Amino acid sequence: MGLVGNILYYSIHPAELRAIIQWKVWHNPVHERNEKDETETQKACFKFLDLTSRSFSAVIKELHPELLLPMSVFYLVLRGLDTIEDDTSISLETKEPLLRNFKDFLEQDGWTFDGNRPEEKDRELLVQFHNVITEFKNLKPAYQEIIKDITDKMGNGMADYVRKAELEDASVKTVDEYDLYCYYVAGLVGEGCTRLFVEAEFGNPALLKRPRLHKSMGLFLQKTNIIRDVREDNDDGRRFWPKAIWSKHVDDFDDLFKPENREAALNCNSEMVLNALEHVEDCLFYLAGLREQSVFNFCAIPQGMAIATLELCFRNPAMFERNIKITKGDACQLMTESTQNLRVLCDVFRRYIRKIHKKNTPKDPNFLKISIVCGKVEKFIETIFPSQNAEEANRRVEGTKTEAELERARQDAETRKDVFFMLALMGVIAVIVSIIMIATAWALGARFDLAWQELRGGNPSPKSVEHAEL
Amino acid sequence: MDGRSTCLKNVLISGGAGFVGAATARAVAEKYPQCDITIIDLHPTGPTHVVPDSASFIQVDITNADEVSKALQQARPDVVIHAAGIVPVLAERFGRRIENQVWRANVEGTRNMLEAAKGSGANAFVYTSTCCVVTDDMGRPYPNIDEHWPTSPQPLIYGESKAAAEAFVLQYSRDVMPTCALRASVLCGPGDYQLVPAIHVCIAKRETPFVIGTGSNLWDVTYVPNIADAHVLAAENLMSSKTAAGEAFFIQNNETITFRDFCLAVWVHFGHIPPFELHIAERLAYLAGLLSEASTWITGKTTTISRGSVQDTCAVRYANGEKARRILGYEARVGIEDGIRLSCEDLARRLGIELPCPSELKSE
Repeated sequence: MGLVGNILYYSIHPAELRAIIQWKVWHNPVHERNEKDETETQKACFKFLDLTSRSFSAVIKELHPELLLPMSVFYLVLRGLDTIEDDTSISLETKEPLLRNFKDFLEQDGWTFDGNRPEEKDRELLVQFHNVITEFKNLKPAYQEIIKDITDKMGNGMADYVRKAELEDASVKTVDEYDLYCYYVAGLVGEGCTRLFVEAEFGNPALLKRPRLHKSMGLFLQKTNIIRDVREDNDDGRRFWPKAIWSKHVDDFDDLFKPENREAALNCNSEMVLNALEHVEDCLFYLAGLREQSVFNFCAIPQGMAIATLELCFRNPAMFERNIKITKGDACQLMTESTQNLRVLCDVFRRYIRKIHKKNTPKDPNFLKISIVCGKVEKFIETIFPSQNAEEANRRVEGTKTEAELERARQDAETRKDVFFMLALMGVIAVIVSIIMIATAWALGARFDLAWQELRGGNPSPKSVEHAEL
Repeated sequence: MDGRSTCLKNVLISGGAGFVGAATARAVAEKYPQCDITIIDLHPTGPTHVVPDSASFIQVDITNADEVSKALQQARPDVVIHAAGIVPVLAERFGRRIENQVWRANVEGTRNMLEAAKGSGANAFVYTSTCCVVTDDMGRPYPNIDEHWPTSPQPLIYGESKAAAEAFVLQYSRDVMPTCALRASVLCGPGDYQLVPAIHVCIAKRETPFVIGTGSNLWDVTYVPNIADAHVLAAENLMSSKTAAGEAFFIQNNETITFRDFCLAVWVHFGHIPPFELHIAERLAYLAGLLSEASTWITGKTTTISRGSVQDTCAVRYANGEKARRILGYEARVGIEDGIRLSCEDLARRLGIELPCPSELKSE
């Protein structure tokens, strides 16, 4: 969209322009990085963070100083792992040990890797990976331990997957396989982040006792991306939608993209959205366990974006034709709302859930299931932030009032008393002034007796003729 | 909870020929095939509400204390489940024309049942109450309510009579005969003569495209075998740990959906999807209800739309099922999706029509 296009667009959507300006002008990071004191390797790490991640770099860099480097290193390590896995030019014999042993490279000073094909986007990160290793070793041992453990699990999960893809069929068949795939690429990240938060005392330790919650955080984001990117992924020869779901609607995965199957494709899409929505309650529950603002923002922004993206995709035929994404204005609005508190974020979720509910149609075989899951989310939000409570209702029935209400009633009574006093005072002043004026007039010879007679005679305004006689 | 060691041996169900009572009789017979079941009801059992073959039947008018006492002396049950009562039909729901009749059956009847149960040496008394004891105060939203909410002060005749009876039942709870009350939400299921049939009729009346209010108000519905399960659980509890003694519980499917979606789901089963949607503002509909009531007053003919029915349609009414889960161990065994399907199949059978199969609908 060119400049003219932008001007036209925002003149029709002023609310979006307002949201963008608001975000740019009013958003202050909770914690600002101190760039002056950074070492060379730290600078290199932040440079790679900007280069490798579009969306995460900004939120990571606003994190509390305690977690700034651990989270950056964690992200870069996983990105490095991903770059090896994605590269189809590396043979299985080379790739498998690289993935499985990646956690050990973190301990080897100066380890780098230049075996990626030149067109691999993040090749440079691995070529200069020694920077990441230096920073990794500077972290507190507890953080190192967490990052290493997740790297180990993810590396092995990826190796298993690559192996399966090479030797047999790795396509996602059942919903369980779909969940497992998402767990390896995103659920594990959720686990790592949660352990870092709890270690830094920014998260409730109970979060670790309910692994389902942080798993859902990762799965919700990943599933949303998989739904949104279906066209792009399919064009690149990747398919993540589980066969158990799409085979109910079309015979062949490619049929989803044919215009004559639009209705079936939309029903398939809504079943995928339904599957993702099952995680929403867990995500909101998880967010309630975070104790530090920057950590909350870090987790809440992607979640807010995800529910909006899901709403955008839900029953949207454009999804099968091209890559769709939420508008910049909506994104800024969401970022503003996701960086406040859980209550505001819950309002965001409720808003988008209602939009999804509105688009739901009885033509869809999953109509009722979607309706139920929307109802569940609303009920859950009502549970954590009740709009009414039993005490109020009981008071209403009994006719009693709370302290606050009594206080307000007392204040109202006082105000009323003041007003009456002022009115009475003004009345008294008016009477005194009148008396003085009448007395003065009388002393100066005013004939009130004549005036009185005229009045009684039924002539309230004596003719000016009388003046002439004077 | 130790439902296994408790065993229901002799259960008496009032209103056992009715919607909830018959379903409860079936649930008891399913879980305890050896249990003696006595059904007392004003009307004989019929084909609409199927009761177990093993159940014995005594015709009793619960407003007649002597008849009730005689029946209980004859059956000598351990557990009394009191499901009998009058649910006013829609046309009477918002008025006071049958007030005396409703109060006699729902309040006097309950008193007779309690006294007879105590007199015959029963060990547990389960009362079928309704969420209306709280939610019949119209025009207020009831989101996610729990058992701490007050029973409503200005309800309709149904809610107020049930609330009075419920309070009486719960106060009556003693160690020898603990009592509890189950507040059922709106019900659907086999034998349903109010909800699903009324929604189905809208298709023929061409009323389906009209949405009163936003259509986004959530409410609860219960598939009737689930409330029957809750009765069995409550009886087991009162016969064992007694943690439910003197307590009221909201019982529902715990799958809140909007009223509109419930209707749409029913219509889909009958092969109907509204061709378009027209939203009517709640206030406008309320006005129409008022005019319609006025015309009823003049002509004497009742209509479906009234101020009350508009408020019912737009109301937010759903409860938090946590207490029943915690104390009774209640979970809905049949989900609402299956519940709606089974209710529609039952209605189609009664109407003698065939439901289109889902695949036909797809090609439509």
